[in-house]
Amino acid sequence: MDAQTTHAAASARTPEGSLSPETRLKLYRSMVECRYLEKRAYDLFMQNLIKGTSHLGLGQEAIAAGFAAAMRPDDYTFCTYRGHNHTLVRGVSMTKILGELMGNSSGLMRGKGGSMHLTSVEHYMMGSYAIVGAHLTIAVGAAWSAQYRGTEQVAVCFFGDGTTNIGAFHEALNLAVVWKLPVVFVCENNLYMEYTSIHQVTAVEHPAADRASAYGLEPILIDGNDVDVVYRTALRALDVARRGGGPSLIEAETYRHGGHSRADPGKYRPDDEVKAWLAKDPIPRYRARLIELGIEEAKLAAIEQEVQAAVDRATEEARNAPPPDLSLAEKDVWANGGSAWRN
Amino acid sequence: MAELTYREAVAAGLAQEMRRDPRVVFLGEDVAAAGGVFKTTVGLLDEFGPKRVKDTPISEQAILGAAMGAAMTGLRPVAEIMFSDFFAVCWDIVANQIAKTRYMTDGQCTIPLVIRSANGGGARFGAQHSQSVENWAMAIPGLKVVAPSSPADVKGLLAAAIRDEDPVLFFEQKSLYATKGEVPDGEHVDELGKAKVLREGKDVTIVALAAMVPRSLKAAEVLEKEHGISATVVDVRSLVPLDTQTILTEVAKTGRLVTVEENPRLCGWGAEIASIVADEIFWDLDGPIVRVTTPHVPLAAANNLEDAQLPSPEKIVAKVRELVD
Amino acid sequence: MPQLGETVQEGTVSVWHKQVGDRVEPDEILAEIETDKVSMEIPSPGRGILKEIRVQAGATVPVGAVLAVVEGEGESAGAQAPAPAAAARQGAAAPSGEAAQARLAAVGGTATAPAAAQNDPPKPFGRVRSQRLSPAVRRLAAEHSLDLRAIGGTGRNGRITRRDVIDFIAARQARPAAAQSGAAAAAAPAAAPRPAPAAAAASAPATARAPSPTQATPAAAGAENRVPFTRIRRLTAEHMVRSKATSPHVLQAVEVDFSRVDTVRKAMRDAWRARHGHSLTYLPFIAYAVCQALREFPNINSRVEGDSLVLHDYVHLGIAVDLGAEGLVAPVIKHADQLSVGQLSTAIYEISRRAREGRLKPDDLSGGTYTISNNGTFGTLITAPIINQPQVAILSTDGVRKRPVVIEHPDGDSIAIRPVGILAQSFDHRAVDGAYSAAFLDRVRKLLETTSWTVDL
Repeated sequence: MDAQTTHAAASARTPEGSLSPETRLKLYRSMVECRYLEKRAYDLFMQNLIKGTSHLGLGQEAIAAGFAAAMRPDDYTFCTYRGHNHTLVRGVSMTKILGELMGNSSGLMRGKGGSMHLTSVEHYMMGSYAIVGAHLTIAVGAAWSAQYRGTEQVAVCFFGDGTTNIGAFHEALNLAVVWKLPVVFVCENNLYMEYTSIHQVTAVEHPAADRASAYGLEPILIDGNDVDVVYRTALRALDVARRGGGPSLIEAETYRHGGHSRADPGKYRPDDEVKAWLAKDPIPRYRARLIELGIEEAKLAAIEQEVQAAVDRATEEARNAPPPDLSLAEKDVWANGGSAWRN
Repeated sequence: MAELTYREAVAAGLAQEMRRDPRVVFLGEDVAAAGGVFKTTVGLLDEFGPKRVKDTPISEQAILGAAMGAAMTGLRPVAEIMFSDFFAVCWDIVANQIAKTRYMTDGQCTIPLVIRSANGGGARFGAQHSQSVENWAMAIPGLKVVAPSSPADVKGLLAAAIRDEDPVLFFEQKSLYATKGEVPDGEHVDELGKAKVLREGKDVTIVALAAMVPRSLKAAEVLEKEHGISATVVDVRSLVPLDTQTILTEVAKTGRLVTVEENPRLCGWGAEIASIVADEIFWDLDGPIVRVTTPHVPLAAANNLEDAQLPSPEKIVAKVRELVD
Repeated sequence: MPQLGETVQEGTVSVWHKQVGDRVEPDEILAEIETDKVSMEIPSPGRGILKEIRVQAGATVPVGAVLAVVEGEGESAGAQAPAPAAAARQGAAAPSGEAAQARLAAVGGTATAPAAAQNDPPKPFGRVRSQRLSPAVRRLAAEHSLDLRAIGGTGRNGRITRRDVIDFIAARQARPAAAQSGAAAAAAPAAAPRPAPAAAAASAPATARAPSPTQATPAAAGAENRVPFTRIRRLTAEHMVRSKATSPHVLQAVEVDFSRVDTVRKAMRDAWRARHGHSLTYLPFIAYAVCQALREFPNINSRVEGDSLVLHDYVHLGIAVDLGAEGLVAPVIKHADQLSVGQLSTAIYEISRRAREGRLKPDDLSGGTYTISNNGTFGTLITAPIINQPQVAILSTDGVRKRPVVIEHPDGDSIAIRPVGILAQSFDHRAVDGAYSAAFLDRVRKLLETTSWTVDL
């Protein structure tokens, strides 16, 4: 089966469609928010104000933005350690995200989780998971729970291309199909697992889409740098899941502008490959499309200014917050708030 | 009081809680239609139906991941890992995900789930289906660890584990499945983190867990009748939370501690108890602390080899006599 | 007999664990002694044979006396003995005629045993138990001032078990006339009648330790009950009388607002306890402030010697530790002025614990330059402490409680709820006057109230 010619991909590839200008501006704003916040996070690293590691999704914003716009507010998000964008698009404040990266009291988890574990249950953002593969099975559990409770919620689970080669991927997909669970698996294929090309280590060309048939699923391969395509694909997959049609597996091709993590300049990637993908940067690309569709440039510039101001405000708020209270170090191991293991 | 086997008590405990709380669901390999490979869950599918009692593929990560995801979103799942040895193939979900997520999210997530597993040796299954791994579990902050020794405790502690708001690893000792005991009629719910003094003596305090409890009781009888040594026997029941107060009190009374552990020697739970006792009631000790364990080797399959490895009443008697005489 | 503190002049050997002719290993316990307030063990200074016991159990000898002689293995008689430094310091005659002999009087000092049998294969541990006493036996013996020679051991190779000791105490208690002192107990026959087992078991709870039976003996209704002083009680009493007779005591007190201390204590409490296993109390903060203030007020950190005041340029801080009915000791934290709050907390905890467990070293009781007595745990308002001679002042810390406090401010005064406690100092009016002492106390208060406290875990 040719993975590239599915009907989902074909219909979603028509960029004009019938999306309202409001939806399109919302998608644009969402991507700009991701981009500016992560650029700021990068700057703060350089100033040594953020310690530890961090994995940026610069260049991959269209997937997060497109899905969030299509999801119901009470749909669940599960994502990876490259999760700043997926957290932001569910409505978590920039201050809380930057505060968590800086490890202070303004953070989403007051410094207890860090960059790789952003979670906001009130936004149904059920966590960023840092061990590759595990969260696919956990998303399956959330979907099972939604099915059992009859809430018509859907669990959306984002993961990287490298995940497709770990056992948990296959365990999760199989069980989700067998139990016909409302879960959408989204592979963000940015062509590299960490420092190694996914093609060098994978038996098939499309690491997710080519495996779909093994679980009786339709192979769906989309341009993950086209936010309209992502949005339409998401709407359809969510609808299928919500109506009891079971899981979907979507492979969205994209590219990260930087290295795998903070310490990685990404030098293993050929220059022309980088150049070609930078030309497909989802944000300038969408900006040009919106202007082409008749949206005034001033509107877009205003969004950019507003977002920049919001990032600046959040930076100041997060920077000025005190370090977390030391008592937190031994709190909340247990549901009673404590950590006692003996009497 | 009805007499139940240890294995029947598992189903009885699960059924009691499933009747009471519709959020309780149960999943595992061969648990529904087949009633479990150890026949511990016979009848549950009939009573509660396929929506609540679910057979899974051989996918330990998916079983526990699904249980965790469900627990985070409002259910109270009970998952079965057929043999506790199989924890090794899903330890990421147990140790990295289930145990740590509440802490890492600053208390945003609560994960009320129970993982039942058949633990321990004595069934001639060889090294990969006989391990006692309760000490793996207690080494991870964020997991509660329970191991009952009698049918009444199976039912009461399983109910308590299901009602607990935190993840509980519930170790059923497979060598005890056929043993019988009185189980209270009606609803029976015990309490996690409480050790039980099963026998009071004056000369030595034997602290044991799960299958080692009946063996220690047997040893205590022999010690009394044949050697004039009177032993207290404490059933730890719950390693996390650990009832140190009962243990310290009982050890202080006799001044001597012997732990009896089915796990291999290094870093067994008895070592932690020995350390606590030495730290906190050193001046009440009247002799060295002695640990009786399986030697630090994998378990063998042959009858005589496995028997020679596991702590037996005879070995316990010999060790206690060495200490007390 | 080692020097166990400057007020100590003599000590009593309570029990020998080795007999003449026994082979001893380095640090093996030879004997236990009791001196002014302290019971302690005397380890062997080296490897060899116990040649001679010069002071029998029960006898009291002056500090510096030779207790026993250990002859190093392989040393031929007539070889030069290394004269232990401690012996010289104490002015005792060097044992010039006793070749290759380590002097027990040097225990705790710097003496090293002649190294002859260094190549002996290491002995396996835990097999020869006849002479070993378990922790429980040691504790009971110390608590009840028992001479263990009087107790018959029923354990393997005659080892004294905890049960033996409990039975012995119960038997002694059952004989009212003879049971009144350790001396009487020492003379009791080993074959004392065994009490009912239930009684023995009942007297051994771990947490709530029964008071010593001499005090617990119930009095007949309406009759008087004479309880003789234990040794430590008697010495405590003597010291108190002597101190009051020596120093004209003056009491001064200041009220301290502990808000800032409380802030850091609350923030650190759980993490501290988890890391260190004991609480972070007010005491180390007070100790820290006192040490800093003493540097500025050296006359308080001193002793009176004839017509002079001898000033110390270091602070060796005594901490009064209550041993229950037994009495008081004030072990010393050396160079306390060099320690942080966290280090002080640990040092105070450790030394108090050692004191309660009877494990103080001789050095722990000597050299104090100032003492703090902490009565705060019982919520007292104020305590007038008695000076620990030859020091010239002592501080009592009492209960810290929330109280309404007037906060003065240019915009108007207000009332706030603050944790407040009283620090009370008794000073020796021979050494300093009221203004000086008051200025010192004021400095301590200011430090406690204005320091931005931090405590490293």
